[in-house]
Amino acid sequence: MIIIKKIYLFFKRESKLFFSNIVDLFSNILFFFLSVFVFIFALGTDEQLLKTIGIGIIWSLLLLSSTLSLRKFYEEDFKIEILPIIHMGGMSYELIVFLKILSHFTFVQIPFLVSLPIVSIFFNLPANEVYNLILTFIIGSLILSCLGSISASMNLLNKTNFSIGSVIVLLFSIPLIIFSVGINNADSDFNTLFNLLIGIALIFLGIAPWSSAACIKLALKNK
Amino acid sequence: MFKFLINPSRFNKFADIILKPLIIITSFTLILGLFLIYFSPLDYQQGLTVKIMYIHVPSAWLALLTYAIMAIYSIIGLSFKIPFSFVVNKAIAPIGAVFTLLCLISGSMWGKPMWGAWWVWDARLTSVAILFIIYLLIIFLNQTFENRDVREKTIAIFILIGSINLPIIKFSVDWWNTLHQPASVSKLSSPSIDISMLQPLLIMTVAFSLIGIIIAILRIKAEILIRKKYL
Repeated sequence: MIIIKKIYLFFKRESKLFFSNIVDLFSNILFFFLSVFVFIFALGTDEQLLKTIGIGIIWSLLLLSSTLSLRKFYEEDFKIEILPIIHMGGMSYELIVFLKILSHFTFVQIPFLVSLPIVSIFFNLPANEVYNLILTFIIGSLILSCLGSISASMNLLNKTNFSIGSVIVLLFSIPLIIFSVGINNADSDFNTLFNLLIGIALIFLGIAPWSSAACIKLALKNK
Repeated sequence: MFKFLINPSRFNKFADIILKPLIIITSFTLILGLFLIYFSPLDYQQGLTVKIMYIHVPSAWLALLTYAIMAIYSIIGLSFKIPFSFVVNKAIAPIGAVFTLLCLISGSMWGKPMWGAWWVWDARLTSVAILFIIYLLIIFLNQTFENRDVREKTIAIFILIGSINLPIIKFSVDWWNTLHQPASVSKLSSPSIDISMLQPLLIMTVAFSLIGIIIAILRIKAEILIRKKYL
């Protein structure tokens, strides 16, 4: 029972942190909207063209705008040295990373979900494609959170080369974008690709806690 | 017996013994391989361009093999805390990158006359390109962190995560419908390549791996010297 209370307290702290800095999230979403606008201005407003390439553009811009908030995944907690204190309270680093991924998923990725139907209006997407997009984004954003945790924990002590974290996220998100955009192709089966996406999410949920915890331990040891 | 694979001083001794004979054997094998390539038969469909295969296939195999060695050394280094494995990781990453680049370039030179395009977005080609990017990232990460311990272990973890790509490269021709042909040598049943082409291919593979080993030995020795001097 105690562990449930600890998890509850962890989430309470995360939500307080999140609501104290909610402007950051709004500016991320604003970045997403503006980049969609820029893309449409660059391509021209041909309706048929926008309809065919809409899903791909939305997904790639989602990826880019989700890499914006990655640096603060562990940065603040690492700076004020709260992670060892939580660890001393009886949680392993792996569990902390797992909870952190879940809280990032709920507090940062889910608000993006609200913006998806609005953006798809700009591209005149049909209703079933919007439905597919939202379903794939729920799974895909979980993968994005895992990747973000991996790259943010790798770059905790990195003080020179800032762009490499985003490069790592983009590199490992290639399978995600292949399968999630491929769902909307006419000749592909929805269930197969969706199951593949869930499989990728489970793989990364298995890898991310181990690797992030190892990197965090390294960073704490050599701080 | 295989202590030289994890112990720097033993490695140095072993390298001093083996380096000169290895260079002689390598040059002999390479000359023999080039000779056999010159007299190997032309393909009845592809004509002269089939000879690109003797560069393309060995470099592709060695690109994968180098990554597999790095992954194994990462596991050894992380679990048994053997620093020599990180030396190896740092030394052989550029070798793997060069082999991957060689594979990509020769492949696109082969693809232009055969498929009519320098590059197609095929599963095999894409996954090998991702392997090349992973190699580049490993080389960049080597320049990133100030603390050596953090750098080495972070790179080892990154290598282990990136090794998901290896089975994808190997089985991409079976899982997806690709333009790239499926495996014809490393099949469990008998290889579907003629013996007159298989001979030079295998000899070139041996020559390429020997060249890789020589460069790796030189780089590892240099890396050990640097660490002895500055640490």
